[in-house]
Amino acid sequence: MLQIEDFSLYVMFCVLAPLVGAFTLLFLFIFEKRIDLLENQANKLVLEKELQQAKYFQLNQQIQPHFFFNTLNSILSLARLNRMGELIRAIEVFSKFLKVKYKSNQSICTVAEELEYSSYYLEIQKIRFQSRLTYTIAMEEQVKQVAILPFLIQTLVENAFKHSFEKYPGKAQLNITLTLSNSHVLLTVWNSSEGVHLNNYQDARGHGLTNIKRRLQHMYAEEEASFQLIHEHGGTRAVVSWPVSYPTNLKKEAKQNEHYISR
Amino acid sequence: MTKKKYSVYILGTLQLGIGFGIVTLLSRWVTGNTILSSPEALIKYGILGGLGYSLMGAFAFILFGFIATYIRKRYPMHQTIGDLLKEKTNPVGYWYTILLLLFTGMDSMFVQATGAAILFSLIFPVPLYISLFFFFSFCFIIAGLGGMQRIHQFAGISITFIFAAVILIPVYFYIQNGVYPVYEGVQLYHPYLLFWKNIDTFYFVITGIIIGFGQVLIDRATWQRVYMLKQSRIRTIFTLTGLIWATIPLSLSSLLLVVVYSGSFHDVKILLFQLVYNINSTLLIAIFLLFCFSAISSTLNAELHATTVFTVKNAISELIPLSDQNKWHLSYWITGMQCLFLYLVVIIISPTFIELLFFFGSIYAALISPILWMIFSRDRLSSFVPSTSAIAIFLSILSSSSTGHLGAIWVSFITSTSLCACFMLFRFLSIFREEKRKRLL
Repeated sequence: MLQIEDFSLYVMFCVLAPLVGAFTLLFLFIFEKRIDLLENQANKLVLEKELQQAKYFQLNQQIQPHFFFNTLNSILSLARLNRMGELIRAIEVFSKFLKVKYKSNQSICTVAEELEYSSYYLEIQKIRFQSRLTYTIAMEEQVKQVAILPFLIQTLVENAFKHSFEKYPGKAQLNITLTLSNSHVLLTVWNSSEGVHLNNYQDARGHGLTNIKRRLQHMYAEEEASFQLIHEHGGTRAVVSWPVSYPTNLKKEAKQNEHYISR
Repeated sequence: MTKKKYSVYILGTLQLGIGFGIVTLLSRWVTGNTILSSPEALIKYGILGGLGYSLMGAFAFILFGFIATYIRKRYPMHQTIGDLLKEKTNPVGYWYTILLLLFTGMDSMFVQATGAAILFSLIFPVPLYISLFFFFSFCFIIAGLGGMQRIHQFAGISITFIFAAVILIPVYFYIQNGVYPVYEGVQLYHPYLLFWKNIDTFYFVITGIIIGFGQVLIDRATWQRVYMLKQSRIRTIFTLTGLIWATIPLSLSSLLLVVVYSGSFHDVKILLFQLVYNINSTLLIAIFLLFCFSAISSTLNAELHATTVFTVKNAISELIPLSDQNKWHLSYWITGMQCLFLYLVVIIISPTFIELLFFFGSIYAALISPILWMIFSRDRLSSFVPSTSAIAIFLSILSSSSTGHLGAIWVSFITSTSLCACFMLFRFLSIFREEKRKRLL
């Protein structure tokens, strides 16, 4: 048998329940449109992210034929000149390069990995340019494991050859510097560019550098990453800056994004 | 989409979000049955009976929400439950199920109409045939001539009156008189209502969930509404509808205690309507009457419309090819004839409601497994699947004298489910044998 206290609770529950029901309904009528709007905005953001990611991978793919074409041309030149020893070495290095390149299809790599790719490329070019080419790589130890966009250094190096060293005779000097500054990584690729007409140089650089800019925009917030091409007396300096992060963190973020998208 | 298209008559022109989706479902499901059967549940099973009646509805809606999402995804081009039957059954099974669904539809409308008759006989000092004539004329105009769009417009007003009544009247009464006199009165006149350690109540609730689920599953009006709701919101709408709907029988239970605490009663059927004599405020009496009228008329409108659509689209159109314009005109006629039929029948017959609910409960329970199989199967099914319900209903009627109403529902449910399961097993075995034979050849 129910006691008066329990009965009171029962009555209170019966009386309040429809009130809660009505309030729920009223709340839905008032806020449903706003909830829909917020949901639409969230969906839009997710879609934009997805689109950016798709674009990012597409751009990443676009770089490959660009590089391959130039490298193969270098090897072809060696073959035409019948420099067999250097040709063999070039093919060996190129093979190593391809091995590293196709080992994984990462959207992010470490500075060390990226420099490894570039050093293979530089080695190929060194065979070709001989004593005419000198290059230096200066890097702080802690930068090695920092995340970098794949082919970022490679594209800058490749452009130096394509638009300066290959076109104009004279000494070919290339300096790569990587430093840390205020939680940002600062990459500088300087190349000597004697006799280069600045306007032509800038126009000709187009595709690869535009890719770098767009990829930086996709990967980092607009104000966090920057890219500058400075033409100075005796050379051209490409300066790229982006926030310090490590591939594992980025992978986690990417996974979280994927999870969010799938939800 | 022009107004000439019959699909406008069936589904209206809008896709409903959560708020309007809940309103349209509530207006269909806060019914004369809710007003008439929930007092009976309270009287028969005590205070837990009132709670149980609410739980039944909530669970039924939540369960159907899962299936409704699947239905909408799997059969995007359908509009009624008849379209599913057409796709999944052969002619014999199709016509059998159509007739059975029409029969249950008529029952549902009959309950609403009887509820209206009781209400009008209590409140209007005019002969019943006059008040009912106006009531059915109103239903004909809204459901028959107006179609889904008018029903939907009317649903909002109905829900406003329903919530106004179930909130204001108990609050007003219990604040004015307190809980204690009601408790004392119930203890004195109906002490069994306060007895809650009752195993029968749990049995009643579980059986009720089966009935409720079966009722929603085969409800033509609910199927139409599934196609009116925004697809991504269907599950949320049904879950919230279940939870909000459950609050109404709860409130009615508290109202019923207000009626019974002051003495004995002789007729459960008119118990809640006697509330009119217990409330002093004219405004609250008006709200209560509007609540009863809204609940009954909105359900009857939804049922009339759904049955009309079902008859025109899934029965007559199957026999005679009809243009959209013919379908519109035919719909007016069929709604009119249904109203006339109900008008005549209600004046003559008067059954006990909870018994009626449990008799039709056997039909709902018998249809659960065959309909679920139709929904989830990929192929057209044999006539045996729908006919399992006929065997189940027959057995439940035979056993009802020994098992009681609740037991008969279980007999019905278990029979059709077991027959379906056996048939499914037999089908798998024959497919397996056929595959094996082919491999040997």
